[in-house]
Amino acid sequence: MKKMLITALAIIGLLASAAAAAPARKMIQIKGSDTMVNLVQILAEEYMSLNPAAAMAVIGGGSGTGVTGLINKTCDIANHSREWKPKEMDQAWEKGVSPRFFVIAVDGLSIIVNGKNPLEKLTMAQVGALYRGEIKNWKMLGGPDKAVSLYGRQSNSGTYTFMQEHVLVNKNYSTDMKEMNGSAQIIESILQDEGAVGYVGVGYLYDKDGKIRSGLKILNISKEPNGQAYSPLDKEAVDTKKYPVARPLYQAVNGRPSGEIARFLMWETGPEGQKIVEREGFYTIGGDYQAQNEKNFK
Amino acid sequence: MDKKQKWIPALVFGALALTAAGLMAQTAATPTQTFNAAVYFDYRYYLSNAGPVTLKPTDPTTAYLSNQFVFRRAYFTYENKISDNLKFRFRLDADNTANVTGVTVSGTTVTTKTDDKLRPFIKHLYLEWSNFLVKDLTLRVGMIETLTFKLSEERWGYRSVAKTLVDGYKDITSTDIKSSSADIGVSLGTSLSKYIRVNGMVSNGAAYSHAENDQYKKFSANVQIIPIAGFSVVGYVDYERLLPKTTYPAETKPAAETCKVDVLFDKIKGLTLGGEWFVYKNDLYQTSSYVKYDVSGWSAFGRCNLIPDKLNAFARYDSYLPNSEDTAKDMSLTILGLDWAPIHSSLKIQPNIWFYHYKDGTQYKSTATSNSDVAFNMTFFLAF
Repeated sequence: MKKMLITALAIIGLLASAAAAAPARKMIQIKGSDTMVNLVQILAEEYMSLNPAAAMAVIGGGSGTGVTGLINKTCDIANHSREWKPKEMDQAWEKGVSPRFFVIAVDGLSIIVNGKNPLEKLTMAQVGALYRGEIKNWKMLGGPDKAVSLYGRQSNSGTYTFMQEHVLVNKNYSTDMKEMNGSAQIIESILQDEGAVGYVGVGYLYDKDGKIRSGLKILNISKEPNGQAYSPLDKEAVDTKKYPVARPLYQAVNGRPSGEIARFLMWETGPEGQKIVEREGFYTIGGDYQAQNEKNFK
Repeated sequence: MDKKQKWIPALVFGALALTAAGLMAQTAATPTQTFNAAVYFDYRYYLSNAGPVTLKPTDPTTAYLSNQFVFRRAYFTYENKISDNLKFRFRLDADNTANVTGVTVSGTTVTTKTDDKLRPFIKHLYLEWSNFLVKDLTLRVGMIETLTFKLSEERWGYRSVAKTLVDGYKDITSTDIKSSSADIGVSLGTSLSKYIRVNGMVSNGAAYSHAENDQYKKFSANVQIIPIAGFSVVGYVDYERLLPKTTYPAETKPAAETCKVDVLFDKIKGLTLGGEWFVYKNDLYQTSSYVKYDVSGWSAFGRCNLIPDKLNAFARYDSYLPNSEDTAKDMSLTILGLDWAPIHSSLKIQPNIWFYHYKDGTQYKSTATSNSDVAFNMTFFLAF
């Protein structure tokens, strides 16, 4: 029996040492928001090229996936384009996770239509009514006599939740809305559909050459019915929150960041990282967010 | 059903009716549907041959299952998120203990022959209604997960290797403490603050394997207190009236109840610790001289991450005290193992060793000549 026991323990030991022989370099796992996935992938690649000892893997799946990953300790950094829900904060408490939040960019969430749509602007209330299914024809908004086709994101997307909370005033989306898996799919659908309306992060509006994609129209949005409408491409309007659908893009970590994670976050929120944020079509973070980030580093 | 119990279903269905109109008035986004499967099987090898489990038969014509492949479990789960507040879950489970009685080819004669094929059965079939009546109140209706050991099973994390103490008690000791992971009924749960969560459930008590078999319902409840982040204490109780038995004429209104306490610690990154203690009281559990006895046990377990996403180690110690009147049946089980994901988290290889120790092995098998058993399992876990 002793012999057999030794054999079994040897097998376990062998497996342990085989796994232990895996690369010692710790891979930082970053998971979450699809709006942020391209931006963070570029940031991570740039950071790794400057710091060859760093190893990072960035995947999407939606803000909800990232938040769950951080709570279940299956990722090191969660990307999220909405704030955490109270239920998620409770789950984190239960699992011993103390999230700290860092704003790495600002997004002007853009309401887009097909280029042939003659409308130029909408109010927040009108966008909400469209997505709740209360306005079914563009004629009701002074547009052409054409049925409205709604395009949005799936429910684990932070953008879906942000729109629901801030634009639909916590009401449910219309059952007619087509739930797309990513912003790129929304854009492709809108290019094909003259009656379409959709919402995407501002970084997705640009093509490879840094120009607004042809065939798309970006609507100006006003807070009030008679108020001034602003474009999500207007940095000042986004910074001053005059553009009403602007939002911060966050990264969350468990506890006070340290080591490579802290260095990466500092680099992202510093001048080099912010330069890339701007290059990719998103907006740099202002003084308020910088101060908030600094507080969370301590 | 007792008079006391009659108002409970009425209240539940009344509340359902009240909120149904509100829910129907809501519009819903396109349903999100997911399918997933989890499968685990073992290669088992006995490392001893004289204890009650691993005893080698003296008769060479008797099979000795000292090494075997065991296909233990296959789950197939379909979930449909109908709206932000409504979710439907359908889970099929299959194992080779779910045998059915055979039928002859003619279809007329029912035989008692069974086989060991993996047979699917319904494990979960329920509707989950979030924000039911008030914010943060969750209602589940149908064949739902019980409250008994869900939290400790989550923290133990290795259902593929072993059931938790209460769940696996009958398998290990042959003493039935009538606990189950799923049952037909209704449950309500809410979070009172980040520090306190409460859940209550009314169910048949016959579990998922049987239809209701008496007029009584099982009532269960738990309270989870989380005083500091990552540290939980969970108190659980259940109660069910039982049918009297002629064997125990003094017990005109017998009942069974379980009290259980879980302590869960999840604060340190890469380390999870937990423990559970329970006592089961059943008025019909009596010695031949009509002395009632309790069944109890405790367990402590831990798992730690050695290499992120690759390798974890786990250990568990269970103490089984089948009854307070016969301590010669005391036994313990120690499980040690590794959890290795060589390629992807969808495939895990979990080598593990089980050490059984009995106060008196002959209490479990009269012919046993050793008070210990040792078994090695190479567990394969697949999820997709």
